[in-house]
Amino acid sequence: EDALLRAPQNISILSTNMKHFLTWSPVIVRGETVRYSVEFQGEYEREYANGSWIPICECSFITATVCNITEDVSATVAYNLRVRADVGTRRSKWGTLKGFFNPITTSLTPPLMKVIADGYHLLVELEDMGPAFQFCVLYWKKGQESRMQQKMVKEVSFVVHLDTMEAGPDYCVKARTYLEVINRSSNFSQPQCVRAQGARSVWL
Amino acid sequence: SGELYCSLPNPRNVHFESINMKNILHWSAPEGTGDGVLYKVKYLVYGDSKWIRKPECRNINRTWCDLSSETSDYEEQYYASVKAFLNGRCSDWIETTRFNPLTDTKIDPPTVSVSSTEKSISVILTAPEKWKRSPEGEPVSLLQVYPGLQYNVSVLNKKTKKRWFFSVSNNTLVVPWLEPGTDYCVSAQIHITTPLLHSGFSKEYCIATLKDKTA
Amino acid sequence: SVTEVRSGFTAIKANIQGRDPIRTLSILSYPHSLHKVQSSDRCCIAHHLFNFYVDKVFKHCKTEDSYINRKVSSIANSFLSMKRKLEHCHEKNKCICRQESTEKFNQILANYEGLNVTSAAIKSLGELDILLDWMEKSP
Repeated sequence: EDALLRAPQNISILSTNMKHFLTWSPVIVRGETVRYSVEFQGEYEREYANGSWIPICECSFITATVCNITEDVSATVAYNLRVRADVGTRRSKWGTLKGFFNPITTSLTPPLMKVIADGYHLLVELEDMGPAFQFCVLYWKKGQESRMQQKMVKEVSFVVHLDTMEAGPDYCVKARTYLEVINRSSNFSQPQCVRAQGARSVWL
Repeated sequence: SGELYCSLPNPRNVHFESINMKNILHWSAPEGTGDGVLYKVKYLVYGDSKWIRKPECRNINRTWCDLSSETSDYEEQYYASVKAFLNGRCSDWIETTRFNPLTDTKIDPPTVSVSSTEKSISVILTAPEKWKRSPEGEPVSLLQVYPGLQYNVSVLNKKTKKRWFFSVSNNTLVVPWLEPGTDYCVSAQIHITTPLLHSGFSKEYCIATLKDKTA
Repeated sequence: SVTEVRSGFTAIKANIQGRDPIRTLSILSYPHSLHKVQSSDRCCIAHHLFNFYVDKVFKHCKTEDSYINRKVSSIANSFLSMKRKLEHCHEKNKCICRQESTEKFNQILANYEGLNVTSAAIKSLGELDILLDWMEKSP
């Protein structure tokens, strides 16, 4: 009778900016190719659908030990996840993630940002992190940190105009991501400061 | 029998094409039928018990039918259907998918009017109107249909070739501190978040800031 | 959130509505359109409808298509988190149910029960945009 195939271990989630990946340690069987299959179960399935599990077909019989579960784990509820291994006709038990995963716990990073001074105009270019992301942009005259101004930016496929600048002082800008669906923000990015000139834009 | 009588190939690709809720039913002629095919059209308010014939689109040889009036209540959803006739033979009734005017319409870009002073330009944006039965009819702006409607405005400095963007919630934008005697080109797009809809960008409206009198 | 539900629904709308052959009966719209609900009844009706979809509809929407099943799961779980937010209002009595609201919801239930379970569930799922349009409409 075939030796029992060990269930995948060290199952964990890597979740950043609402991109969620399930990872696990490989099951080693000398001279054999081990394949893995992943299933998920949301709170709805647990409470209203007899605890049913749903397979992720992109992660069925894969050889990789990582699965992108972003599309399926999309609601802000507690999810269960499990993985099993297959070698030929031998199949392991399910290895299940310890505890639930709720996308609300994703880690948020500040956006990549580029501040531009174009004549007297203060502009910012922000990384496109997806339709659900907004950006809280703060800008102020250097030395006047108490008089920061704020602009919420939703559309980031363009260079966004923030404000006009007086000639002379430095203007600083920092930004953080905001996700309305989980009502959380990242830390602020490092400030970037520029100065208005007659016509030349200058980095400082 | 009925089957033989209705043995004409079916109209194809029966669908609504909608812009600012002007809802036109379109279709393609049945395969291999050439000229002489006539059509009739009916429509139904989804959930209603009866299909309604469209008299103005009875025995027509064109492959479109304006159903804007019949589908003007955008809080309802609709189906439409087309049947083809040729030399005593006819096709089956071929239906559209369910049509939701609110989410399935395309939005025209806004109209943009621009004025300038020596160092600034002012932009006034106007959302397109919803289709209306007659020119004398009460205009309804798409702003009333989509309260979350916003504008993205692009301002291009023709001298530096640099383009800036502004997200505008109301319908005016003033860009101060510009260079005198310089050409700026403005175009704008409508952006609606719920439901997710956006227009293309309007054509560019260019204007020059006045020359610096002191120079 | 509503945006997640709407994007999930948009992905399966054509497929799900294509499985509903009945044109002449609607659960949420004509002739008893959801849009005719008075604003004072909106919270109560929304509360009832969330329970209706979670308790009655989604579980009967299993299909042979795993992509559809995964999207239905994503919508159902998003509904669950929205339902929780609405329950919060309900518990704080900010969501009073007048007789008109109850009658309106009973009309919806009657429409639903006029069909067999699977057809009714698929039709209700296919009408999610009617619910979303109504919810996103300013009162």
